[in-house]
Order: sequence, then C-alpha cells, then structure tokens
Amino acid sequence: MRSTLDLLACINIPSFTLQVVLAQNPGWRGEPVAAVAEDGPQARIAHVNDRALALGIMPGMRYATAVALVPRLRAGILSVQENAAVISAATRVLRAHSPEVEPSSEEPGVFWVNVAGLDGVYGSRGRWAEAVRAGLGGLGLRSAIVVGFSRFGTYAAASSCRSIRIFESPQEEKEVALRTPLRALHLPDEPAALLSKLGVADVAALLRLPREGLLRRFGHEVHRLHQFAAGDLWVPLRPTFEREVPCVALVLDSPENRSDALLFLIKRALPDLLSRLASRGEALAALGVHLKVEGEGGSRRASVRPVAPTLDDVQLLDLIRLRLERTVLAGGVAEIELEAHGTAWAPDAPRLFPEHPGRDLASGRRALARLRASLGEDAVVRARVKQGHLPEARFVWEAVEQIVPPRPVEDTLPTLIRRIWKHPVPLAHGAQEVRAAGAGRIPERPGGAAGRLVGPYVVSGGWWMKEVHREYYFAETPRGELLWIYFDRRRQRWFAHGRVE
Amino acid sequence: MIQRERLPQRVILRSDRHPLTLDWSVRQLVGQVGEISGSGDSAVLTLAFNLVRDAQRSSEPVAWISRTESTFYPPDAAEAGVDLDALIIIRAKGPESAIRSADRLLRSGGFGLVVVDLGPRANLSLPVLARLAGLTRRHRSALVFLTEKPRAAASLGPLVSVVARARRRWVAGDRFSCWIDVIKDKHGSPMRTKGAEYLGPPGVHQYP
Repeated sequence: MRSTLDLLACINIPSFTLQVVLAQNPGWRGEPVAAVAEDGPQARIAHVNDRALALGIMPGMRYATAVALVPRLRAGILSVQENAAVISAATRVLRAHSPEVEPSSEEPGVFWVNVAGLDGVYGSRGRWAEAVRAGLGGLGLRSAIVVGFSRFGTYAAASSCRSIRIFESPQEEKEVALRTPLRALHLPDEPAALLSKLGVADVAALLRLPREGLLRRFGHEVHRLHQFAAGDLWVPLRPTFEREVPCVALVLDSPENRSDALLFLIKRALPDLLSRLASRGEALAALGVHLKVEGEGGSRRASVRPVAPTLDDVQLLDLIRLRLERTVLAGGVAEIELEAHGTAWAPDAPRLFPEHPGRDLASGRRALARLRASLGEDAVVRARVKQGHLPEARFVWEAVEQIVPPRPVEDTLPTLIRRIWKHPVPLAHGAQEVRAAGAGRIPERPGGAAGRLVGPYVVSGGWWMKEVHREYYFAETPRGELLWIYFDRRRQRWFAHGRVE
Repeated sequence: MIQRERLPQRVILRSDRHPLTLDWSVRQLVGQVGEISGSGDSAVLTLAFNLVRDAQRSSEPVAWISRTESTFYPPDAAEAGVDLDALIIIRAKGPESAIRSADRLLRSGGFGLVVVDLGPRANLSLPVLARLAGLTRRHRSALVFLTEKPRAAASLGPLVSVVARARRRWVAGDRFSCWIDVIKDKHGSPMRTKGAEYLGPPGVHQYP
C-alpha cells in the first residue's frame, strides 16, 4: 500500500486549451486569442490571453459578443482527437522523467507523477522539475510543477503557482493548500460567486463549512472539492501506459519493385490494422510504411497522414499509392512493415466556423492530404512572417493541414509585392547584361548608368558569428524591371535578391 | 548588435487621377480561367494579390501554387492585408506539377480562388485547359495563371476567358501607379484599363 509520505508531483498546464491553440497557431502571438468550449456563435469563451483580456474579453462571454467587441479576435477550439493528441504528447514527455504518469481524467492539462527516488537521478527534486518544465516547453506548453506529498496539496499549489514549488514537509504543503484561493480551483461561476459573497475565499474557509449542506446549496463540484481537500477522495496513483502501436510485417517470397504489386499487398494487411485500432476506440492518424529494399541497408521510411483520423481504407490506399509512385526503387522490396498510429476518435468532430456555403472544406483538406502524399510533406504550407533583419529571415514556411476562414486586414495601404528568389543571384561586375530569372542590365555602381537606383537600406550585424553587411537598393533597368539588389560588403559583390512585381 | 538605417516615414500622396483601390474583383472571374501576364514593368504579383485579398474578404479559401525558384515575399503580402494564416501555398516542383496541383484543388470544390504562378515557361495543352475550365464552372471557382511574357505573345489558350496584362510605373518617391489592361474578356467588355496608386516596398525612399 502506498504511503502518504511518498513523493508525487502535480503538473498543471494552465489554460490548457488556450495554450494548445496558441502552440498550433504561433502566428497568433501578439493577437487577442480566445479558446471556446464548443462550435457555434453562442459558445462560451473558456480562456483568453492577456491581450484579449486587456480589450475587455472575459471568460464566460459568448463568442458572438466577443467578436462584436473585438473583430480581430482569434478563436480556437480543440476537437476530441486534438485534445487527446496533445495530452498523449505531454504524457510521453512526462514518461521520459518518471515511470508512473497519471493524466487527470477530469481536467485536461493536469497530471500526477510519481517522483519517489528521482532526486537521486537528477540531483535534486528542483532539477527534476526544471527538466520536466523544459520538456513541456519543447511542446510549446508552459507549466506549473509542485512536488509534495498528497494529490490535493500538490494540485492546489499547482493551480495557484506559476512555475516550480518544492514542499519540504507535509505540514508545509498543508498550510499552503489551506491558503489557496478558491478562484484558482476552477469552480463553476455561480457557486463560486455565491461562496465569494459569503466570504468563503480560500480552502480553509471552505473546509470550515459543514459538508452536509454543500451538495444541496452549492452543487456537486463544491461538494466534491470539499471531499478532495479533506482527503476523503484519496486514491493511489493510477498511471497510464504507452499503448502498443499495431504493426504488421509482410515478408515477400520474391522481392517486388512494382508499386501496384506493393499496393496490393498493403491492401490485404490494412483492414486488420484498422480493426485493431477501432477495437480500442481509435482511428488512424498516421501510417508508417517502411520498405526494406534489396541491396540497401536499413529501411526506407515514409509516413502517410490523412487529413483527419480515419478508418477508411480506400482513402488510405489512395494516399499510399501516391506515396509509392513518388518512390524510386532501384532494387526489389523484400519486406514491408506497416505501423498504425491511432488517436482517440469522435466521428462527428465539431468545426468552429460554419463552412462557406458551397465550399466543401473537408474535400479541400483531402486534396491537401493528397498533394502532401504526392509532392512531399513540405509541399503544403503557409507563410508566417517573423522578426528578422535579413529578408530571407523574415518569414518561414509552416506545414498546414487545416483550411481556416480568412480574416484579411482592412484599412491597409495598397502596397507593391516583391518576388524573392530562393537563392540570391550573383551579378556580374560592371554594366553587363545578366540573366538571373529575368534580370536586366544594372548600373555598374550606384549612381551610374541608366535607370533609377535608390538606396541604400543597410542590414548589418552578426559580428559574433559571421558578419553580414548588405546594402540594399532598388534598381530600375532599361527594360522597366525594378530589381531588388544588394551589395555584400564582406564578399565585395553584387547580388539580385528579387524584384518588384 | 544589428544596425540598420532609419527609413523615412512613408507618406501617402493622394492623386486625383487614380483612386487608391483597383476596381477589379475576383467575382468577375468566378467560373472562369484567367491569365495575368507581365514583363519588365510587371505588376503581376501585386494585382494577383489584389484578387487574393478580395477573395478572402468574401471568406473564400484561396490556394497559391508557387514556383520552385522564386515566390512572393510574404512580409509584403502581409503588409497588403492578406491573411497569410488562411492562404494555402503549394510548392510545386515545376509547371506540370503546378497544373496537376491546380486540378486537384479545383476538383475538391474547397477553394474559391486558385492562383498558379507559372512564370516564363508556361505551356498548357487544350485538353488540360478544357478540364480546368470545366472544374471552375462546376465549382464556381476562379483559376488565375500568372505568366511572364512580352505584350505581343499569345495567351495560354483559347479557353482562357480573361486575359490581362499588369504593369507598373514609378511615379515619384515611394509612389507607383499600377494598371490592369484587360485584353480579352469573354463575359465582359475587353480592352479596358483600370489603374490605381500603390506604395512601394520599404526601402524605396522619397527623393529630396
């Protein structure tokens, strides 16, 4: 039987849904963002970031009201499978730091972890907690971690703490738990307001109330919190364990390199994999297809991802066919291994916004999945602008799977758009004609020859690594092109980076 | 420390000759295949993004099929008011791959506007063009090809319903004028020109 003095930790990822929405949409940082509880204009807002709060958006407000107040509000909702996927990812991170991890079944983003004996491995409990915090930070999640002795004590402290807290004794933990304000413990609005009016502001005050009347007067959640705080709901840690990934290996009698023959073999094995996932309430999120080719060491590994978790083998075979058609096989395939990675699945997953009338977004997403399968994982992207000084550092391409409703910015000035070349093109010294994706003649040096030359706009720095000093100009050529060029001081050479179109 | 020169503040100088917005919307291209071409003083990207922004204002999903060797500069598109989060970009491996991608996207019915940046090596067969035109009609989408060719060059094919040229002229400082010359329009009046004023990209200083 577990002793109450065993060490455990509570990890709390505050405003879990909001943090996941922001991690999925990094371009929204700096914008007012809300996480809504469900699909629809009357959905309640569950969490908001500081920017939204500053603009008057409050949790509990209806989404339609919030958008009327702040038209630029970005809102996100997590589907059941997205929620489960993030919790699985966080659990995997925690399992790297403890053999026993229990995700809360009631509150997403709360985990209890067995810490006993780990301070010997990490040097101290504080170092263990820092390692865990860094691991979750790698998923883009901010967390509070409290190491203590009881479920409620660590939970209460993690709900009101912002980083790491280590309790040295059960007494210390109890004192802090009793002082925890009730507003940090996620009670429903109505009973929380009523308790506040009665002056019941913290756990200690709640525990002084007689339990008998709580259920009738304040509801189930308050009654349960009283039981939890009093230690009446103690249960041992119930860790979850990594589920085995269904896989199958097909060993071929004679190696085969025709994609249609390989597809036929995969088609026979797929239904069994899918039924194994379905039996545990999951659908396929990604299928690993690993080919052992004669004459090659190791396996050729590829992954096929449908646009949404599915049990539809026809859709999957189509994606596999596209992937196989892209694969060039010098030798025959001797073995095929298939790994089915599943995720919790709700067939009627809600969507946040109503689809544009006449636009089949689900079909659009399937088209994107097919393009990914045929052109590669990095072929379907969106652009994200970021801070940077060099032009090529001012944006990145991010893989995209969803089609989101557009929100163009109003009241902007009409602006010319530049074309940027993937690699800056070196220009010949002197006033010579240059063929660089359509570049024309440029002046030999600033202020020379025909056409306007404006600049420079200087970008320099990086002296601690590799110094960069570029002097950018816009050069109008006799053909009327407006080239975007720069002089690289370090290399003493002109380059064309693009042009204005 | 990274240093850069302070840029002069950008100033809009209004002109009575041209409005500040170009009256050429994606609604005029629904159910059709269009081609915007340019060379030298080209304004192809700028006017294509006019259409992108117009489609986004109508809540239409938009896909942009880009070339391998070059692409639009995303910070400029963001500055022009385009929602980059919602703009799907397909990085095709060449013109044939770009056209196949356009086919797939149109066939899904999930996109109101598909823009294909073909560049100078543009060549479409009649059956392919016919198929694409049929898809735009079926799904009430717009397909726009961006090409790079001289003014006298022929369009991509007879089934391109709207053929236009986009050109630009540097007026002064950071002010430019852009025009769209509609050379062919099967459903409207051709040989019309529309123009508007635009600001140049950051770094285009004002002359003293």
